[in-house]
Amino acid sequence: MYREFVTVLRREYLKWARVPIWVASSFVIPVLYLVLFGQAFDLDRLFPAGADGSDYVRAALLGAPNYFSYFAVGMVAFVTLTASLYSGTGILFDKQLGIHQRTVATPAPRSALFAGTLAFRAWSACWPAFLAFGVALAFADVPGLIGLSVRPSVSALGIAEVLVAEGLLALMFTALFLSFGYVLDSNEAYFGITSLLNLPILFTSNAMFPQATMPPWLQTVTAYNPASLAVNVMRQNLFATEGYPYPPTLYLLGLLAWAVALIALALYLSARSLRVR
Amino acid sequence: MTEAIAAEQLGKVYANGVEAVRAVDLSVAHGEIFGFLGPNGAGKTTLISMLTTLLRPTHGSARVEGVDVVERPEQVRRRIGLVFQRSTADEVLTGRENLEIAAGLNGLSPAESRPRIREVLERLDLTEAADRRVSTYSGGMRRRLEIGAGIVHDPGVLFLDEPTLGLDPQGRAGFWEYVRELRARHGMTIFLTTHYLDEADQLSDRVAIIDHGLVLKTGAPASLKEALGSDVVQVRPSDPNSGLRSVLERIPGVRAVEPAPVDAAIRVRVARAEAFVPAVVRACDAAGIELAAVETRKPSLDEVFLSVTGREYREETEGNPTNGPGSRARRAGGR
Ligand SMILES: Nc1ncnc2c1ncn2[C@@H]1O[C@H](COP(=O)(O)OP(=O)(O)OP(=O)(O)O)[C@@H](O)[C@H]1O
Ligand SMILES: [Mg+2]
Repeated sequence: MYREFVTVLRREYLKWARVPIWVASSFVIPVLYLVLFGQAFDLDRLFPAGADGSDYVRAALLGAPNYFSYFAVGMVAFVTLTASLYSGTGILFDKQLGIHQRTVATPAPRSALFAGTLAFRAWSACWPAFLAFGVALAFADVPGLIGLSVRPSVSALGIAEVLVAEGLLALMFTALFLSFGYVLDSNEAYFGITSLLNLPILFTSNAMFPQATMPPWLQTVTAYNPASLAVNVMRQNLFATEGYPYPPTLYLLGLLAWAVALIALALYLSARSLRVR
Repeated sequence: MTEAIAAEQLGKVYANGVEAVRAVDLSVAHGEIFGFLGPNGAGKTTLISMLTTLLRPTHGSARVEGVDVVERPEQVRRRIGLVFQRSTADEVLTGRENLEIAAGLNGLSPAESRPRIREVLERLDLTEAADRRVSTYSGGMRRRLEIGAGIVHDPGVLFLDEPTLGLDPQGRAGFWEYVRELRARHGMTIFLTTHYLDEADQLSDRVAIIDHGLVLKTGAPASLKEALGSDVVQVRPSDPNSGLRSVLERIPGVRAVEPAPVDAAIRVRVARAEAFVPAVVRACDAAGIELAAVETRKPSLDEVFLSVTGREYREETEGNPTNGPGSRARRAGGR
């Protein structure tokens, strides 16, 4: 079981590491998003202190020191989503190239195959997010750029919660997109569905804009969006806690529920795709 | 002792209604090299897929080393190696890495697999290219790597689906030698499909001929050929309308006369071809028929194939013909 798991992990890693564009894009995307979106959409400049509505905007940020800091944490979630978007393509290609068949003919436990794929893909969605986080922090030291500023007294538990939230979010999105890989046969269908989902997931979350500024129906959707849940955990721990209806642990539980449900679904679909007809 | 591979009334009807394999009975002994011979679309891949748990039979049953392929597929997978008809290697990985992955998925530890991989690479002539990406491999190298991936874990029963497709003569000869060695050294049972008659002939202890999903004949290549009981003399006249056939039919000792599929030639079955040639030359001389060529042939599996299917082997694999000598083959094939 362990041996097969490590074998799958190694195969996924080698395939990933051998495609420089793939590796490079995971480096570039977080930076690009932060530079382009982050520096362009700045609510603080739109509503400078003292201007009409600026108090309202400031309050909606729920304790974040400035809009970029608020936004940067949201981007961590969005980068996780973007980086996991293509998790299922490997499955599709394996099916098309007959590699899937070879795997079916081996005695490797199906759960080990699935776990190896999920683990690697989730990892490869996690670290661009951490990179985004690091880059946002570093922006503070670049003249002319606004950076992410967190409160000086973030606790060890707080950091742990941030890491767990990121891990669960990556697992959850990866499981979701792996599921499409297991179910679908055509690349067109896969890319169609994933690109359809990408932005709606972002815009129905509070990653970029505060929930309080949304119409009520959208607020409901946003409250349950896994990206919002992860972002709530992160922001509460990184900024001064203000105006959140629930403590981080509750959001973590919600995120865990999402992850468990989607991993179960993906595991089922993976077993189904390996079943003999 | 149970057989290595056994099938009873094994059959597959695909969802689209194609009856790819019909009621195949099969029994392969331990350590036997068994060749499955048939033209394109005969049902070879379908059969091998059922025996290797990749496809669920719609009829009948099959066992590998006594284990039922439908009831306990995991147990079957532990006992087999499989070489696919199409390449299944990861292009961006090196040959060695592909073998390491194959070994790992079959549960081998790195320590166990390392010497095996070295040996396999060596025997398949891939040592030099082992650390190059598969995307830089030639067709033959890919084929050999595919074979390697099927045998790294030293399976008890090895299934090979057209293993030498696309290999040059040297590569094929090397492969045959390796297969014999695997059997001799590891006692491996080997089940291979092929549409090369000479391969089935050279390599197999026994051969089954399959066409349209049916096993038409099974036996040792030599006994199949013996059963045919005759040599072939093929005579080609310079003038296609020379009336050669009736002249040949009158020569004493002739067992059968039939048109050959090419060039208006005529095939004569006789006990011993060498002794018959002078009589052919004399008879044609006397009848004033000018000869372009006379060939003799000991029976080959080609002939066996013709006699059991009523079709020329080569024609079918080349997806030929609608008129000329082929139309005869067609009629016969359509029984
Ligand atoms: N998935 C499938 N669905 C429907 N029909 C199929 C399927 N796979 C194969 N067939 C049909 O079943 C028959 C046998 O195919 P199979 O691939 O077993 O032949 P084969 O002997 O391996 O041929 P080849 O030498 O070309 O590899 C063919 O008529 C083919 O069209
Ligand atoms: Mg085939």
